[in-house]
Amino acid sequence: MRSFFRIIKFSFQDLARNAWLSIVTITILLLALFSINTLITVQVVSDSAITAIKDKVDISLYLNSEAPESEILKLKSDLESNSKVKSVNYISKTAALQDFRAKYRNNDPVLSALKELGKNPLSPSLIILPANIEESSLLINELKVIDSPIIESRDFTDNSSILNKISSITQRINEVGLFIILIFVLTSLLVVYNAIRVAIYTHRQEIEIERLVGASNYFIYMPYIFSSFLYSLISVGIIIAAFFPLLTLIQPYLEVFFTGYSVNILGYFINNFFYIFGLQFLVILFINIVATLIAVRRYANV
Amino acid sequence: MISIQNVSKFYGKNQILDDVSLEIKAGEFVSIVGQSGAGKTTLVKLLIGEEKANAGQVLVGDWNITDLSKREVPYLRRQIGTIFQDFKLLPKKTLQENISFAIEVSGGTKEKIRKVVPSVLKIVGLDGKGDRYPNEVSGGEKQRAAIARALVHQPKILLADEPTGNLDAINADEIIELLLRINRFGTTVILVTHNKEIVNRLSKRVISMEGGRVISDKEKGKYIL
Repeated sequence: MRSFFRIIKFSFQDLARNAWLSIVTITILLLALFSINTLITVQVVSDSAITAIKDKVDISLYLNSEAPESEILKLKSDLESNSKVKSVNYISKTAALQDFRAKYRNNDPVLSALKELGKNPLSPSLIILPANIEESSLLINELKVIDSPIIESRDFTDNSSILNKISSITQRINEVGLFIILIFVLTSLLVVYNAIRVAIYTHRQEIEIERLVGASNYFIYMPYIFSSFLYSLISVGIIIAAFFPLLTLIQPYLEVFFTGYSVNILGYFINNFFYIFGLQFLVILFINIVATLIAVRRYANV
Repeated sequence: MISIQNVSKFYGKNQILDDVSLEIKAGEFVSIVGQSGAGKTTLVKLLIGEEKANAGQVLVGDWNITDLSKREVPYLRRQIGTIFQDFKLLPKKTLQENISFAIEVSGGTKEKIRKVVPSVLKIVGLDGKGDRYPNEVSGGEKQRAAIARALVHQPKILLADEPTGNLDAINADEIIELLLRINRFGTTVILVTHNKEIVNRLSKRVISMEGGRVISDKEKGKYIL
């Protein structure tokens, strides 16, 4: 325990004597951590966007107002037997009207116009959900050629292309992000290695004397390991302190952008706080300790 | 106490020590003399485990230095006090702190520091000067502080590698007198030097080296080179 406190004391001396080097090292670690957290944010936001769009992917077949119920149910059953179809929801004329009224319950002009018509102007419809969003274009092609007299119109807005675009952009961002992270990780490794090398050089006289008077190898290299622990702790601490205000700042913009959908990036980081930052701390610590051990073995000869 | 048997040491293709054998008994005062490049310092490095012999065996007490692992070296060094020509004191620490440092880094207690530091300062004649920095004292006093630091672990052997090399004649005499006093307490002292006058005046055992070989080993010897 006594030695441990002395190791901590010597480690803080290292940081203080090489203050500028410590600042540069921590800054590089911060850049690495910032890029990692930005990538996590982009990932969460794009996942939310994809989920939002997936919810909207449905294909509607509008039917004749006078179509017999038995014909509609037969068509529904035929569609359900298609392997590309996940589910088919039948919205009757009455149900469509109820939905319409509910949707425009606060819109008096629309409701009064409906009242003036005196009858239900809406058509029954079949809402089809594709089994696989990515295959929805194939399903649309099949639906286009269905020949049934009860089909009045078809709404085949193909959202799969939007989905594919978002997936492709997200994938590209992830690839570029991973490349940036890899560069930062390698840079961190080299910067920490250099910081420890310079610290050892600064302390070469002390190290020589420590060895001369019988200091154990553990005592000689542990202050540098502890310094790398401090670098990790300080950089993760700063990124937490800096990233949360940033998330708080962008959260309202995300909410406006994804109106009607739950996109809570701040909540995501709070709920996964220990997982996200704990893992980052462990990874950064591992990198730092590896760099330190290499530098210490090479330059302090322990 | 110390047994060096058929030791050879090479740096690359250069042979620094050539089949060196010698024995030093506990409590002896031995001077190892020779000109630069004779292999004296390499012999010191072998004794403190800083270098390993390419051939032969080095035994210090119960330690076989030839097979010593890196982990064991610090424990050996606590048994052997060493002083050098350039004192090896930390300039930003006072003399007292320099001496405490040796206890601190080997895990000694604060109580040990409080007890041992004043007593070694007294032994070397620096009591009252412990709070001075190395640049505030003379060369002789720096070497005394280095000796005090070497004594904190109560070593059985004191290795002095050219301890008077940076000192004037008066300070050099005082340091040699101090080494003799430490030797009288029972510590084996090995003095590595090329100072002819000191060696001749000591009238103690002298081992002479030349070209990496022992060319003479005499009780109450003289500097013959």
